[in-house]
Amino acid sequence: MSLRRRDFLKLTAAGPVAFAAAATLPTSAHASPAPDNAFDDAYGVLVDTTFCIGCRKCEWGCNEANDVPRRARTEFDDKSVTTVHRRPDATAYTVVNQIAAPPETPQPVYAKVQCMHCNHPACASACIVGALRKQPEGPVTYDAWKCIGCRYCMVACPFQIPGYEYAKALQPRVMKCGFCAERIIKEGRKPACVENCPNEALTFGRRRELRSLAHQKAVASPGRYLDHLYGETEVGGTSWLYLTGVDFARADLPPLGSRPVPELTEKIQHGVFKNFVPPLALFGLLGLVMASQHSGENGGK
Amino acid sequence: MSPTFRRLAWGIVVLSALHAPALRAQKVQTEAEQRSHMEMMKLDCRQCHTCESPTTTTPCLMACPRLTVAQSSGKHVVSEAPESMVLDKLADQYQGVQFDHKLHAGMAEMNTSCSTCHHFCPPGKIPACVSCHSIEANEQNLRQPSLKGAYHRQCMNCHREWSHDTDCNVCHLPVGKYAQAHDKTDPTDIMGKAHPVVVAPKMKSYVTPYAKGPVVTFYHEEHIELFGLRCVDCHQKENCSYCHDLSKPQAQKKTMEQVHSLCSSCHQNAKCSKCHDTVERPAFSHASTGWSVGRFHSRLECRACHPTGKRISKVNRDCTSCHGGWNQSNFRHAVTGLQLDETHASAECADCHENRHYNLKPTCAGCHDDKRDFKAVPPGKYVTVSRKR
Amino acid sequence: MSEHAVPMRSPYFTRGTLAVLAVAVVGISVYLGRMTFGLQTFTNLNDQWPWGIWIALDVATGIALAAGGFTSAALVHIFGRERYHSLVRPALVTAMLGYTFAVIGLLADLGRWYNVWHPILPSMWQGNSVLFEVGMCVMIYSGVLYIEFVPIVVERFKGRVDLPGVLRALNRPIEGLLRLAEATLSRFISVFIIAGVTLSCLHQSSLGTLMVIAPTKMSALWFTPVMPALFLMSAIAVGFPMIIFESLISSRSFRMAPEMNLLSRVGRIATFTLGFYAVAKVVDLTIREAWPLAFAGGSQAIMFWVEMIVGILVPLAMFASPRVRSNPRGLFVAATLTVAGVAINRLNVFLVAYRPPFSDRSYFPTFYEMLLTAGLIATLVLIYRAIVMIFPVIAAPHGTADDRSAAENDRRAA
Repeated sequence: MSLRRRDFLKLTAAGPVAFAAAATLPTSAHASPAPDNAFDDAYGVLVDTTFCIGCRKCEWGCNEANDVPRRARTEFDDKSVTTVHRRPDATAYTVVNQIAAPPETPQPVYAKVQCMHCNHPACASACIVGALRKQPEGPVTYDAWKCIGCRYCMVACPFQIPGYEYAKALQPRVMKCGFCAERIIKEGRKPACVENCPNEALTFGRRRELRSLAHQKAVASPGRYLDHLYGETEVGGTSWLYLTGVDFARADLPPLGSRPVPELTEKIQHGVFKNFVPPLALFGLLGLVMASQHSGENGGK
Repeated sequence: MSPTFRRLAWGIVVLSALHAPALRAQKVQTEAEQRSHMEMMKLDCRQCHTCESPTTTTPCLMACPRLTVAQSSGKHVVSEAPESMVLDKLADQYQGVQFDHKLHAGMAEMNTSCSTCHHFCPPGKIPACVSCHSIEANEQNLRQPSLKGAYHRQCMNCHREWSHDTDCNVCHLPVGKYAQAHDKTDPTDIMGKAHPVVVAPKMKSYVTPYAKGPVVTFYHEEHIELFGLRCVDCHQKENCSYCHDLSKPQAQKKTMEQVHSLCSSCHQNAKCSKCHDTVERPAFSHASTGWSVGRFHSRLECRACHPTGKRISKVNRDCTSCHGGWNQSNFRHAVTGLQLDETHASAECADCHENRHYNLKPTCAGCHDDKRDFKAVPPGKYVTVSRKR
Repeated sequence: MSEHAVPMRSPYFTRGTLAVLAVAVVGISVYLGRMTFGLQTFTNLNDQWPWGIWIALDVATGIALAAGGFTSAALVHIFGRERYHSLVRPALVTAMLGYTFAVIGLLADLGRWYNVWHPILPSMWQGNSVLFEVGMCVMIYSGVLYIEFVPIVVERFKGRVDLPGVLRALNRPIEGLLRLAEATLSRFISVFIIAGVTLSCLHQSSLGTLMVIAPTKMSALWFTPVMPALFLMSAIAVGFPMIIFESLISSRSFRMAPEMNLLSRVGRIATFTLGFYAVAKVVDLTIREAWPLAFAGGSQAIMFWVEMIVGILVPLAMFASPRVRSNPRGLFVAATLTVAGVAINRLNVFLVAYRPPFSDRSYFPTFYEMLLTAGLIATLVLIYRAIVMIFPVIAAPHGTADDRSAAENDRRAA
């Protein structure tokens, strides 16, 4: 009997992730922030919400430039929709919302929402077929032809960005801002939204320069901006950066730590599959147990 | 050796050592930029460069000191500015904007004048926006908006406050494929025209915490008329949003001094009772001076008769003191409501109006002996007088 | 192979079977409807809630409940507890069908189900993806399960292949194929068994890693970096109760006396596996200091307590009591509660714990979604019934001595 209990302990403990060892993971996973500047030379966009006037020109430009249901230009003249909280979806890669600003703010405050193009995108880490990929130039792009439609990317995204064409029975796509990758990489142009922004609330450039620009701005007008550049360290850094004068959470930018979101799963995955040693070790161990049991049975029991 | 002197000495050493690279560094600036920054603005290098020895690679530039530059601007007046101009540098995308510069300058005058918009306005000719803000974004200086951004930030900053409107067609008439999609601009829109007449309030009544006389009655129209005031004489440092921003925050609390300063700038050393009372005061009536302004004089602005500015001068009530040049040939008698017939029209004024006292009852006794009354037997016919001038 | 497992003899269609068939037909119609008209028409899935019960129940719970296959294989073949030999085949068939239907259920959820084979292509391999690992493991393990099923087919048909009419010409080749399969498999079956257990450990735990990628969206009541370990433990814990659950239903359905002698012993094992899981869960919650959330009220706290009490503590207490274990009814209730507990856990992890940051609604499955899930389960039950009536899967009740000799025969054959 005692033998049997031991066997069960063996069996359960043989799981690749030992319980006790793994229990210590959370503390190590949320240690001191380490700003990742791997994509500092890649493209990025600085969103200065204090210059955003909620004109929806970015939405219009985006609609024209991307393969989304085309809408009449006049639809974007209706500014009233900005007062209702909207999120990007399968028909719009970006939306502008009026933010609930403190009452003393003289003018309504707006913030554009779109994919943040994380340096370590959870969606790309989650994607089973590598349809979502972080390009060296900055954009996180999507290859529809690879996609199997599992929507794990949507589960993974900490910003809740990807939308899905649920209505399509065939060839539904994950829909999210692709940073106009073709346009900026091959054609050397700016993303459609940036190009269309009349007030230049959006600045396109190298992430490094955008970071220094943002810090200059924050130093020059301390009253105008909060002393934080959102996306500089969040989830290991994002290619899109935000400066605001109001609480970021109001601008649909949730408070997130500085560790990349997929760090933990990747750690577990790569721990479990390190050169296939753990699975093969488990295989070998089970084989040994089996062999010893059989020889033992043959011997006496 | 004093610290200042030591620093100066070090500065000279460093400067001479870096003389050549510094010159090279300056070459990257355009000539215009050099001139503007070094001469026109009379800037010290340290106002922009944070380190002792800036180079091209590490210029250690501070953020563009927009506000400090604005303060160092030269003096300009609205009258030297252009009347209107066409902003059409980006005409391939949007039809050029007819920009009424004078109108905007006038509005800006209530604020901080030219520098409201021209944040860089050195003495001499104010440089055009495009001389710094290039049409394509400046890759070297992402902080500097391109011309499009500069225009829009400048315009929208006030227009948002003013009308809460970000519609393109407030300023632009669209061209090309979007032209059809747009509603045509409303021609009565004030952005296309001058500002419509501001309906100033006739009277405002304030309830103050002053116990002895809580009510202050202020006759706005009367002040304008009596003293010939322009809006900006009282409404200083106000911009469009003062009137147009419907969602403006609650008026800020003002100190006693601030409240009184507006009135006391004219009503110097006045007693409290000058304005404060227990009840609303009636408006000024000219009749209270003993001379009621009649049909004709009520149309006149006060200073037409009282021309000497803030203090109201006494005016001789004799008509001839003003209307001395009138005689039977140049006075159109019909304006009085009585059109003289041919016989009477040729009479001298004084024939009926004894001693040319026009405010007294005219007499017929100069010619007629039958003691007739001019009302019963008129010297012509009565006509309806139009109130319009 | 076992001489005692025999095809069940019973009319296939009973009143109960017909009712199940009705559910299956409705479910399959919904399935076809979803494939024709797309997800929007049939589900409440949206951008905020991309996963629904088809993932939480059909896939995640389906695979967890199929764990009986590898736990029994490990127990009997690897750890040499031959006493339980008669449980292996039913568990194997359950696992085989469980995985098959998990994949079928997954296809309904996949937007581009026809691309489901893409992860096989090396050009699309994505080593960082937890889902990739789960997918590959499930795929390979399903293959292993089918291979493990081959000996049962061989046993049933070897020397008995007798196709009618024109197909008669195929009798000899098929017979040869069966013999070849038997000869090959008898040599390598242990490799497949060990591989099956290894693969199961990998993907049962990796299913738990799936939601680790959304730390900010998950309630701390469930989110823990050791979720993979908890998933594996719960899979092991539910494996034996699932065997008990099935065995009791089968014996009732085929009017056999329940194998109480064996099942109460399995119940004893379940006490340890379930107890271990319960302790792990409590320790994890304590280390992470997540207990205050359990008392914070709200739907998440309620679901947490339902899972903990109804799904873990009550069945644990029942399994721990010898009196309950010796009573078929008591054993059945305990097993059912454990199975339900794991199902609730999967629902909780994939749906209840998930709170998207910008949500203006919550997810509740449509009637269609539920019908499809019910239909798949019903179809599985029907196929299971057909298999156990065609193939020698379920052992007729026998004494322990016979079991011992049967087991020894097996070993010699291996």
